[in-house]
Amino acid sequence: MAAFPYYGTASIEALNSQASALLNLFASHGYMREEPAVLQPAEIFLNRYGEEIRRRTFTLTDPAGHDLALRPDLTIPICREAVLSNRNFPARICYNGLVFRHQPGEPHRPTQFFQAGVELLGLEDRAAGDTEILSLAMGALRVCGLKDFSLRIGDLALFGALVDALALPSQWRSRLKRHFWRPGYVESLLYWLSHGDGTVKLPGTRAEIELLLDAQGDAPLAGRTREEIIARAQGRAAEAASLRLENRVAGAVTELLDISGPVEEALAKVRALLKTIDINLDPELQAMEARLATLKSLGVDLAKVEFTAHFGRNMEYYTGFVFELWARDKEGPVQVAGGGRYDSMMEMLGAKKPVSAVGCAIRTERVLAARTGGAA
Amino acid sequence: MAMLTLAIPSKGRLKDQCNAWFADAGMVMEQTAGARGYRASFAGFGDVEVMLLSASEIASSLFAGDIHLGITGEDLLREEAPELEGRMHLIKGLGFGFADVVVAVSRAWIDVSTMADLDDVCAAYAQTHRRRLRVATKYAQFTRSFFAQQRISDYRIVPSAGATEGAPAAGTAEVIVDITTTGATLRDNGLKVLDDGVILKSQAQLAASLSADWTGEVRAACKRLLDQLDSANPLYASLAALLPA
Repeated sequence: MAAFPYYGTASIEALNSQASALLNLFASHGYMREEPAVLQPAEIFLNRYGEEIRRRTFTLTDPAGHDLALRPDLTIPICREAVLSNRNFPARICYNGLVFRHQPGEPHRPTQFFQAGVELLGLEDRAAGDTEILSLAMGALRVCGLKDFSLRIGDLALFGALVDALALPSQWRSRLKRHFWRPGYVESLLYWLSHGDGTVKLPGTRAEIELLLDAQGDAPLAGRTREEIIARAQGRAAEAASLRLENRVAGAVTELLDISGPVEEALAKVRALLKTIDINLDPELQAMEARLATLKSLGVDLAKVEFTAHFGRNMEYYTGFVFELWARDKEGPVQVAGGGRYDSMMEMLGAKKPVSAVGCAIRTERVLAARTGGAA
Repeated sequence: MAMLTLAIPSKGRLKDQCNAWFADAGMVMEQTAGARGYRASFAGFGDVEVMLLSASEIASSLFAGDIHLGITGEDLLREEAPELEGRMHLIKGLGFGFADVVVAVSRAWIDVSTMADLDDVCAAYAQTHRRRLRVATKYAQFTRSFFAQQRISDYRIVPSAGATEGAPAAGTAEVIVDITTTGATLRDNGLKVLDDGVILKSQAQLAASLSADWTGEVRAACKRLLDQLDSANPLYASLAALLPA
């Protein structure tokens, strides 16, 4: 696909009629269409995603000096509006529109493409929300006429629960969870954990730490409070003294992160491995099995569903169940849809209390290409 | 006749050090009359045109292919073109203009001594303050790629035009990425460099633009110039291997 796509009559008409079919399907499930502005305040994306996505977001400055961004997705503006307008929950919202992405180092990839998607906000029953969105995503591909596609799933909650079950200081637990989506790095953190961390040279008592801080003269606090600094210094000193993960446990976790394959086999491996280190993740595993039962009832062949323990997405906001749907176009396998749970986003955007959130986005141009060109 | 263009810094210590380096190689620079000091030439090198530009202009002109050769800081070259390959060739580090591009935080952050600490603080800061920690810098590219390599994503860059070291005290950013030679300016501002926070050990580089117009005459002039500047090393051969046939 070209960096600056030009849609000829036939292709824009095909896309439009596909979009109508999708939006009709979403509407029949209670999802009402909304359309945020293309041009958005840059803050809302940059504060949510951090610098990683800034690399891929087109930003500009208006004549008055305000930073603006071409929306890199519709999920954030839609969630933000739901927060600002005090929406009643649960809310079911759908969309179809252009998103814009800078593709550094990959000049052949399009800088804009259409996404159609759904967001399900504030549904308390998370299991029901997960399967509602997944079955809607699969239904969407079928409505588009795409029958041959495969499913990859993962669950960040599984890893979160695993980390919580490890005998580790809380800062290390949150560090491992935060980096879960980066394959390779978590493994090196685990290695470090089982071989000791010799970098901390902080005194142990609060009085000593305050003394050390006072000795820094008029060095600026630089945006943090004195208490924040003292509290973290104390935490660091304590964790350095206690930090140690058994080699056996670190090894098992690393091995677990490597598990990937047909979902039923993969989950059996996960269970067997957890048993060797006496860690019980039954609630999370049962949640996964419940999803599989639902998938089965939807007619999905579980032998074709792949589970990847270190399921990594290039946007780092997912918090639980995640999935990708893959098809083939002329050039090979291509991801046509993706989604999952992002329960921390609404609070990050200013919601006063936690609001569950799950959604998915469909790459409609890829679906069209896969439908017409993918003789897989 | 097509001339080989060589840009050197127009002012400051870097200019003096360049001149000394040329003098060591037995080359005498002559200011071109009437060019108001922005053009010069070397005695005996009629096919080399010397241009006096600012250090950052030299980096961008090399990147754009407007000049063949230039001398400027490696920090500026790499900031201009994060992936040098295919665009520029660093011919030789010149052994002067040493400076480090570093990540620095307030000394009051006694709990932060490594990039891993900074990662924790970035994440905690985003949670507590509902916004990203700000990094002031004029090296946005470096910062982005180094932080990505260090797996830090919960931050944002605040472009800084000058006096970056003052940003944490002024409250316009919490962390800085800046260039330092002795560390004295950082210390004066209550800042410290993180243990593993050295992004680049920079020095002045003689660099070639691979996208400039390298005619046969220009190549011949370049070989003669580089042989004169360093007769002990085959500098031209390594450059010629990268130029289009």
